[in-house]
Amino acid sequence: MTRNHPTYPLLALNLLAWLTVSCAAHPSPRPKIEGMWSDPPATIEGAFCSFACTDAGMEHLNALLDNPANDARPFQQLQDEAKKYEREYLRSRLTDAALKNYPLDPADDPGFLRCEPWGLARQMFAPHQFEIQQVGSDRMEFRYGEWDARRTIYLDGRKHPASEGPSAMGHSLGRWDGDTFVVETSDVAANIAILPDLSTTVRHSDQLRIVERYSRSKEGETLHLTATIEDPSTLREPVVFKKIWRWAPESKITPYESCQPPTEFKKGVKP
Amino acid sequence: MRFMRAWLCVVPILMLSAAPATSHHAFSPVYDEKRLITVVGVVTEFRFINPHALMLMNVTDETGKVAKWTVEFAGRLNLSEAGWTAESVKAGERITVTGNPTHTGSQRVFFRKLVRADGSELLPAGPQRLKAIEEERRQRALQRSQQK
Repeated sequence: MTRNHPTYPLLALNLLAWLTVSCAAHPSPRPKIEGMWSDPPATIEGAFCSFACTDAGMEHLNALLDNPANDARPFQQLQDEAKKYEREYLRSRLTDAALKNYPLDPADDPGFLRCEPWGLARQMFAPHQFEIQQVGSDRMEFRYGEWDARRTIYLDGRKHPASEGPSAMGHSLGRWDGDTFVVETSDVAANIAILPDLSTTVRHSDQLRIVERYSRSKEGETLHLTATIEDPSTLREPVVFKKIWRWAPESKITPYESCQPPTEFKKGVKP
Repeated sequence: MRFMRAWLCVVPILMLSAAPATSHHAFSPVYDEKRLITVVGVVTEFRFINPHALMLMNVTDETGKVAKWTVEFAGRLNLSEAGWTAESVKAGERITVTGNPTHTGSQRVFFRKLVRADGSELLPAGPQRLKAIEEERRQRALQRSQQK
């Protein structure tokens, strides 16, 4: 056979056609998000988004860090300043009704006072372990270290139920959007939301709707959440929060069974 | 009195203030985060549990009177992320604990730092993580100055 054999172009075309059909029939596998995740890596972004953060807050922190005049100031001080900025950013997005009780007195937190487990608006930002498991082909199970809380994400294309009442974790439907796992949740009972840390909690209504988008980093070491929160009685407009976890197969969720209500406390003390 | 109350400088307070951020609720209703005290005594029990680990200790004053103190920690979930185990503190150990006192002045303290009799220290996750973060800052500042 010579280099100019007339069948080469035809072979090449056939190969290209086969590859095209083959790739369409077997799309690249989605990233694996199942497994154990936990506290974010010890990085600036990980620290700032330990509970949750906003782009506005992160941009403010980066501006502080990039200013040479701040080089001698401890990170904690700059982070506190950026969090203060972030709280003001969020305050401007609260409705008048929400502002009446913002931020809530930490001594009124039912989780602190009576060991009441969190609702979804706090639980999805909980620190420490976060375990994802796919169960069959029709659902994902999310399990959190804090409160040993669990929630089910349905993947079978069902709709949100019309008859069930709201619950602490709401009703969640999941789907893949490319490399991103998307969870849409409604029917969440009125509760407390962290906006975005312990010092700035606010009550939300049962009109809360949350869209969570989970994606794994290219290196695979971190899981990133972008959560869009809507609640017309609490927020003037949807607000986007972010959070990061670190891949932590060695981490374990341990029993959460010894919560004791406080024997002494003082009201009106800001964190 | 063999236990002492000590006002510490501002910097350690700022460095230690990272710990409560990883707790599951604000601790300000119970503890005064603006003050630090130091308590010296002997451990009688360490409960490595969720949501808050607890340590009981006997603190003996100069007259020989023993007071029972409680040290409250972040939970096992949090401490285990910092490498702690149920064996990190043992009954019978003589230790020095630094932490936040309660608003009422009761015999209770929120853990920030523990020093064993041999001088070794146990810390929550916050200060350990801050070392890595400050290093990231140094690298960032270095890159900034090299770009000029």
